[in-house]
Amino acid sequence: MTGDKRLHRIPDKVEYDQRHSDDFRGDVKEVGFHFCGYDYDTAEEQLKIYLHYDQLYYWKLAELSKMGKGFLDGQLWGTKCPKCGDKFFPPRVNCWNLDCNLEKTEWVQLAQKGVVHTFTIAGWSGKSSLKRLPFVLAYVIVDGCKTAVANELRGLKPWDAEFGMPVKVVWAPKKERRAAITDFHFEPADGWKPGPMNPEKERMKELCEPVYEWVKSMQ
Amino acid sequence: MTRRVCIAGGAVTPFDYPMHLEPESMVANCIVETQQDIPDFHLRDLQFMVYSHFSVHFGKQLCPEWIVHDHLGLVGLPHIRIENGGNTGGSALYGAFLAVKSGLFDVVGVAGWETMDNVTQSQGSEFIALASDTRYEALAGGIYPIYYAAMAYKFMKEHGLTEEDFALAALKNRNNAADNEKTQWYRGEYQQYKRDLTVDDILKSRLISYPLKRYDCCLMSRGAAFCLVTSEEWAKKNADGKYVVIDGAGLSSCTIRAGDRLAFPAWTEMYGKGYPDMTEFAACRRSGEVAYDMAGIEYKRAVKEVDVAEIHDAFSSSETQIYKALHWCDKDSIRQFVREKRTFMEGELPVNPGGGLMGYGHPVGATGIMSAVECYYQLTDMIPKKHRSSKTYVRDADVGLVNSHAGTGTSISNFILRRP
Repeated sequence: MTGDKRLHRIPDKVEYDQRHSDDFRGDVKEVGFHFCGYDYDTAEEQLKIYLHYDQLYYWKLAELSKMGKGFLDGQLWGTKCPKCGDKFFPPRVNCWNLDCNLEKTEWVQLAQKGVVHTFTIAGWSGKSSLKRLPFVLAYVIVDGCKTAVANELRGLKPWDAEFGMPVKVVWAPKKERRAAITDFHFEPADGWKPGPMNPEKERMKELCEPVYEWVKSMQ
Repeated sequence: MTRRVCIAGGAVTPFDYPMHLEPESMVANCIVETQQDIPDFHLRDLQFMVYSHFSVHFGKQLCPEWIVHDHLGLVGLPHIRIENGGNTGGSALYGAFLAVKSGLFDVVGVAGWETMDNVTQSQGSEFIALASDTRYEALAGGIYPIYYAAMAYKFMKEHGLTEEDFALAALKNRNNAADNEKTQWYRGEYQQYKRDLTVDDILKSRLISYPLKRYDCCLMSRGAAFCLVTSEEWAKKNADGKYVVIDGAGLSSCTIRAGDRLAFPAWTEMYGKGYPDMTEFAACRRSGEVAYDMAGIEYKRAVKEVDVAEIHDAFSSSETQIYKALHWCDKDSIRQFVREKRTFMEGELPVNPGGGLMGYGHPVGATGIMSAVECYYQLTDMIPKKHRSSKTYVRDADVGLVNSHAGTGTSISNFILRRP
């Protein structure tokens, strides 16, 4: 079994020689459960308790660490099956092809460009993304991969995005990177020009306007 | 295997946001309502409980099924909980089906709930997005309506559909809900519309993620549902005239990330190159085919043989995409299929007469069970009693289809119910 190359090695001892936790941890207090208030309705005898729940959390990237380190260094790493040649981003650490029988993939550095497969203009999102609305979330096929990755497409009017448009990878400033997918976003490739306005784009623009207003109202 | 599995009772609490009932009370209410319909059913009949609950985040309680189970007085009885995203209810029903089909048990209870009103809608959206691949998708600001919108936009383009075509499903399900006082649409702020919601109202509602607007999306809810899955022998003896047979059951899976569907080898092997891309729900097609096969329904004739369906319409676009995945129409006929309103009450295959997720609401763990219960009501002629009118009663329906759906189409189940 130990000789089987498909097995992922589990490092016994990990020493992190580059530690940057304080840059991001700051003064975040880990409070865990915290009951911080209540509402009571006398008529219906209904009680509601305000529960705040917060804690720091680790995300071990383990086998995917090379990808995360690549983000910090401004490099895009995907994987490739040595048997069938299928290339993946987001990386798959074993091949998806049943005939390859869990062949372990190899890391390959990817060209920082791709093509929009599909996209949408988000006008509503999770709590941590509300102030960025409206944004374009695009599924991009990076450098000839067999899969598409979702990430933000910036640097254009949301309604100007197109199926099949060429895009490039743009990195966050080095000191703001967190070894996460949000270390980069997509922007239109150099030289790409949006097409003229048309009824569909007008419609999208019209739908975006109240979203811009609403975000402004969140101060 | 000749042993037949039946649904011999079931009930749903109102779905609402907010609603002030604890999970154990909601499940208890459902069991009481089931006993009003099936007086011979007693808690002592239960041999196994399958609990259907999606996210412990909403209740801040691990293993919340333990609370419900002993609250019902069922100590000593075996129980499991099934969690499978939006398809939690369908998967729990599938689990109960297996339990009875295997011959191990004759009477199995399926109880599901979700308490999504413990958080705000934007927090709730983020909680649910934890069921996407958080490493790549949730972190980039993605939530499920956004993923669905990206898939729907491509589907819309490739099939020549418009925002108005999607809006028809939203219109239909919400207006159907106006007859069902348990639905959130009927109960909530939306009373103003009653049955008069128009395509224009939907087009004018706020942008969620293009092409989806607010009224194209289902409602976050609190609620519970219960369903009694039994052997045919028990059903005949204790629920005669009020049971249906689960004639086909299929469960299938697809990738967690929609972006991984472009050339997935296992799909290519099954359905050919380029399928399902990001526009199709392959897991729906597959589980539908399995259920059709089991029930002896030819795929091409499904639209004629199925009389009523409860479809997982988390989004108006996904209901429309499911029409095709279930072989009711194809790429060429889908426009006509939608525009002729063939899934409206007056059409040949009424879909979501109970209101669906857009009308009823979507308390995830309860939803799939609610769909099965609504379909069960149709096939046992209980709709006039359960809804506020008979407008959403499909008379003489013999065959029903129940669909439950998770992730971005990541897990999908389909069931064929038949009158005995």
